[in-house]
Amino acid sequence: MSLAFSRCICRVLPQHIVQRSSLAEGHAARTALYVPAMTLRTTAPLRAEPKKKKKVDPKREQMMRERLKKKLKKLEKVPPELIPIEDFITPTKCLDEERTRPISAISFEESERRALLLKEWSRYKQKQHMAEMKAVESALESQREALEELKITSEELYQAALKPDFTLLPFTHEGPAYTPPKSKYEAPDGKYTDTTRVYTQ
Amino acid sequence: MAAPCGRMVSRSVIQFFCTFSRPKSRNVGFRQFGISSACRVTLKTKSVSETASPSPYGLAAAVYLQRLPVISADCSPIEQSFKDMMHQIELEKSLLSDHELRLIEDAERLKRKQADDYDSDEEDSHMDQDIVLTQDLEDSWEQKFRSFQPAPRVRDDVDKDMSSVQRCLADSLVLVSEQTVGDQKLWLLPQMQWQEGETLRQTAERALASLPVGLKATFLGNAPCGVYTYKLPKPLRTESSLGTKVFFFKAILSDSGPSAPPNSALLWLKKSELQGYLKPAYLMKVERFILDL
Repeated sequence: MSLAFSRCICRVLPQHIVQRSSLAEGHAARTALYVPAMTLRTTAPLRAEPKKKKKVDPKREQMMRERLKKKLKKLEKVPPELIPIEDFITPTKCLDEERTRPISAISFEESERRALLLKEWSRYKQKQHMAEMKAVESALESQREALEELKITSEELYQAALKPDFTLLPFTHEGPAYTPPKSKYEAPDGKYTDTTRVYTQ
Repeated sequence: MAAPCGRMVSRSVIQFFCTFSRPKSRNVGFRQFGISSACRVTLKTKSVSETASPSPYGLAAAVYLQRLPVISADCSPIEQSFKDMMHQIELEKSLLSDHELRLIEDAERLKRKQADDYDSDEEDSHMDQDIVLTQDLEDSWEQKFRSFQPAPRVRDDVDKDMSSVQRCLADSLVLVSEQTVGDQKLWLLPQMQWQEGETLRQTAERALASLPVGLKATFLGNAPCGVYTYKLPKPLRTESSLGTKVFFFKAILSDSGPSAPPNSALLWLKKSELQGYLKPAYLMKVERFILDL
């Protein structure tokens, strides 16, 4: 049906259009010299030369692959799962009702004693803190005076004293324990299985 | 205007430096320098003249060697009572632990066993657990703890020996040595005279090395922590030596090495005991940087 239609239209169309489009449609062009302009769809390379599978297609294929990869990346871009802080999660063992300790009522005298002791304690701690601050300040003052004296005495010794000491850090010292260390004590081998959960992001 | 200004400035400069009790002849020299206009010029010339002529004070460096406490201090009465109260409160607010639950279970099971209408078939099939009661576990732990003998915290005989490093493990101690200064034998922090070409910290390290015992210490920084100016008594004062300035450097003992021979004049003292050994003026300067915290 379309062939008859094209035949009647091509008599209207000028000759050069028909000839140009004659090569376009592949086998359709060979069957009829009369190619309708309305169904004409040509792209530049198709028009210019027969279909080649050289540089053009690999480029197109590459572009297709890149587009697919980008889509995949977008899909895979899930935000990393946050590592749970185990200290903030109350373990379900603690919410067990059986575990509540039977509360023994505190007598009035006991609560009074506790309140008074807390007040005593705050007073004691304040005195201790003030004494500490005073001691530290006096030590700093003594150092400042020493540096002043040194500056007056000798400039080069003063400059040597101001230089930072790089051999000091890292400085380690074992802090006080409850009992002093025993001489010639052989500690028993302690074996333990490390059950910390390691998370990877 | 310039000349009287200069003289006034030089006079104030002279008064400022009178504390070091420079001999009178020097002041005349300053006045001559001070005739020029600005006071800055006079001070500049003053500093130039100072470096040109050495300071009349000898220099020495001393080391404040501190042995930090090895054991925790005993609690004072209020600390003890507060500790007990906190322990009580924490116990009241806590939940039952696994061990305590097991104890309660065992107690209930025992009660059921001793009741007359006990049927052992009703019991769950946890017969293996009955072999070890939690009470037995507790007893075995208690026994293990008793079999371990820790080193004693307080040893009175060592505490009384002033020259031992192991005394008073709960306090921090200072090393004090007896040295001859002039013609007197004094108890001082170990000190050494400064020599040309070395920093004061190196002098302090030399002072530490000169002690008969091999002590290893870490010096905390290059800056001194205190200074003591020692003025010679008036008859001994000369133009060039009015006294000595002793700079103290703080160090922390890391290794005490072999114990000292008993005759060496070395003592390890607490801050409260220093009063009996050091001179009052010296003590006043020294106890400012000795922290007893």
